[in-house]
Amino acid sequence: MAEMINVEVTYALPQRHELVKLVLPAEATVADAIEASGLLARYPDIELDKRNKVGIFAKLVRLDAALRDRDRVEIYRPLIADPKLVRKKRAEEGKVMKKGGGEAGED
Amino acid sequence: MLTALLIMAAIALVLGAALGFASIRFKVVGDPLVEKIDAILPQTQCGQCGYPGCKPYAQAIANGEADINQCPPGGEEGIRKLADLLGREFKPLSEEFGVEKPKAVARIDEQTCIGCTLCIQACPVDAIVGAAKQMHTVVEPLCTGCELCVAPCPVDCITMEPVAETVETWKWKYPVIEIRKRA
Repeated sequence: MAEMINVEVTYALPQRHELVKLVLPAEATVADAIEASGLLARYPDIELDKRNKVGIFAKLVRLDAALRDRDRVEIYRPLIADPKLVRKKRAEEGKVMKKGGGEAGED
Repeated sequence: MLTALLIMAAIALVLGAALGFASIRFKVVGDPLVEKIDAILPQTQCGQCGYPGCKPYAQAIANGEADINQCPPGGEEGIRKLADLLGREFKPLSEEFGVEKPKAVARIDEQTCIGCTLCIQACPVDAIVGAAKQMHTVVEPLCTGCELCVAPCPVDCITMEPVAETVETWKWKYPVIEIRKRA
């Protein structure tokens, strides 16, 4: 028997979370995993490689990327806010942008 | 007579060999006490106890370096269970480490999230799905309510929302019997 790997495919919405556990052959790619998860059929609004990007554990990867055992394939959704506008607005309101740890300035 | 002796000796040898084999083959790795303490701890991995996670805290309790009342998420119930397990006196939660709060999960305001990944790096249990410049979402069943993601957010878009008590989340409360009326 060919070597198998365990992976998860997840698609998170604010109120609903999908987490599909899969056992795939070792040479499977990200696209195979998403195909096998059946999430595309359940959520027709997922547009891979256009609107929705994919990644493994918070790192963006391409659809033909290879999988490793215990990877979590994540289907992302685009941002609603424009990061530049949010930063600008916060600056106008006089709020300080802090960076990791949250020590820089109290607001 | 001799046969009986021989049979008993043979049985003793076989059983001895079997026990010896079992003790090597099924050796328990690690300290079972640490495992038991770890099973009681809430696995929030929040670090409020001063240790980098629940397992290190369990280790510290087992070694006698830490007290049993340093875990705010575990609350009074957790301290009682630890006291039972270790045969120690119950003591109230040490305020130095925080106060007991109802279980909450993080929620990200999608209108404000800028996809900076700082909360993802802070999350000890991989409960936030997202990547650079992609929407970040908290996966509620995975979130332990440790609040470690709240501080790093540069746009303050994460709030903690208490989990409402439903049929699935309801748990038996520790029985409280009031012996004397409170003043």
